Amino acid sequence: MNSNIEKAFWLPGLAHLALGPAENWTDLKHAMTRAGESALAVKPDVYILYSAQWISVLGHSFQLDPNPSGIHVDENWHELGNLNFSFPVDVALTKRVMNFAEQAGLATKGVNYPGFPIDTGSLVFQHFFNPNGDIPVVILSSNIYCGKDDSMALGHAVSQALADSKQRAVVACVSSLSNRFLTEDISPVQDRFSSPEEDHWNQKMLTLFQSASYEEALRLSETYAKEASPEMMFKAFYWLMGVLEDKASRSAISSSSIPPAFLHHYGPLWGTGAAVLEWK
Amino acid sequence: MPVNSSSQDSSFRGEILAGFLAPHPPHLVYGENPPQNKPRSQGGWENLRWAYQQCREKIKALKPDVILVHSPHWQTVVGHHVLHVPHLSGLSVDPIFPHLFQYEFSMDVDVELASAIAEEAIQEGLLAKKMTNPQFRVDYGTIVSLHMLNPDWDIPVVGISANNSPYYFSHDVAQDQMIKLGRATQKAIEKTGRRAVLAASNTLSHLHFDREPDCPEDMSQEHVFSHAQYLYDMRVIELMRQGNLDELMAILPDFMEKTFAEVKAGSLVWMLAAMGFPTMPAQIHGYGTVIGTGNVVAEWDLTTARVAEVLTR
Repeated sequence: MNSNIEKAFWLPGLAHLALGPAENWTDLKHAMTRAGESALAVKPDVYILYSAQWISVLGHSFQLDPNPSGIHVDENWHELGNLNFSFPVDVALTKRVMNFAEQAGLATKGVNYPGFPIDTGSLVFQHFFNPNGDIPVVILSSNIYCGKDDSMALGHAVSQALADSKQRAVVACVSSLSNRFLTEDISPVQDRFSSPEEDHWNQKMLTLFQSASYEEALRLSETYAKEASPEMMFKAFYWLMGVLEDKASRSAISSSSIPPAFLHHYGPLWGTGAAVLEWK
Repeated sequence: MPVNSSSQDSSFRGEILAGFLAPHPPHLVYGENPPQNKPRSQGGWENLRWAYQQCREKIKALKPDVILVHSPHWQTVVGHHVLHVPHLSGLSVDPIFPHLFQYEFSMDVDVELASAIAEEAIQEGLLAKKMTNPQFRVDYGTIVSLHMLNPDWDIPVVGISANNSPYYFSHDVAQDQMIKLGRATQKAIEKTGRRAVLAASNTLSHLHFDREPDCPEDMSQEHVFSHAQYLYDMRVIELMRQGNLDELMAILPDFMEKTFAEVKAGSLVWMLAAMGFPTMPAQIHGYGTVIGTGNVVAEWDLTTARVAEVLTR
């Protein structure tokens, strides 16, 4: 694992975690709070955030607005209210990541437009990990056409940029595991996984993460994507592996120094598989 | 603008005047350079923009009380949602093409009709919700279709979300939902006495290039994604021209699968269902590609169909 990376996280990103009555989904919220405190405790220079909810089609998008700010309303759960946001972006480091990504043959696109819609997942992350909005962030999109190899290459570009800049980073991906929503209105106590099979597959992957069996997780990942419909076909996992592995070669994962993941909490969030995982 | 004008007397049985297949590539607004949109262009995609110009004239002549749009870019997973704030305004930036679309929108919403649609949808057994948050950023699909049909924004609107059911369930279940939503829309229009125009904000074939030229409006670079995609678009358009909706509905699942057609989001079926699946030939105003996708601007004028029906009685 790149020595510049202090910690890494896998997080859910639905609006219910940051908005709505405090008594809802308390176990998940407490897990997010603990994870956020753990990240803040290492006083990172920068956060690197991959959000599966920021979908791009013209290659990989990168946020280049030095200070995105505004009000966001979730398109589905608009009744929960507004997410107000203002946070700094590490533009220099972002450009460094873009440069390494381009060297790897990936298409990149920087975005710097007032009013650009920051996705709910990125703002839920800010809510728990950057409550004062004072830690600079690098935010990358999830390219809909990007497969396993390119996602890992994108992750590796992050690792190279961090090694180059010598900044101490906390890395996070915001992504559901299984991503099939319940399609009816529910109260939080009625929440459940959309199917037992998806729950089973989620738990299988979580067990592999917890035992640092990443090679096996990669081997099973395409089957998992078919059986459990993870968000954006599990691209966040490939990206994270690309960030955390020491070497450019994917085979490095079999003997890698990526530690086992610590599971803060796993449960349903409107039918999806929500896991709060931490790599120290 | 008030939405309860004298023509909106609920004792009058409302009707759908016309329906438009109104695709929403932001490139069309960008190519036009309206004052609401910040990026400037040298034009581009004229065949589609000129097609919309004909629709604008038609809509002005019809003098509808309201334009309703169903947009794939307002995606909801729990139910079918309707905009339900009397006036919405703000800046809408397209997350995919932000360099082309940064649009200052300002629209009056017909909340009475929106309420009626939600209520009728519930009567149909659907889950329906009203979007009442005034800070809501209206999606670019809704805005592009509405702008291209009526850039003056002097007609109230109703925006309807695209429920994700087509991506969750079988084709039949999903289409059944859209047919019910269309029926609910039609009943709501009748009961509220509105004279309405419908807009289905859908592209046809939707496979596209993932890189664009340095100058996005360089038309020497614009062409259909594949010949197979083009042929399938033409097959679909020909069925519309023939008014052969039975066959159109029959081939839709294959069309969606083979060309990744955006009609999967349900807007077209919603509109056709609301209009009672008219067998009249659609008027094709224009076809063109945008970054490789196939787009047709088509019209079903129910007023002429009604006149023809009366004359043949």
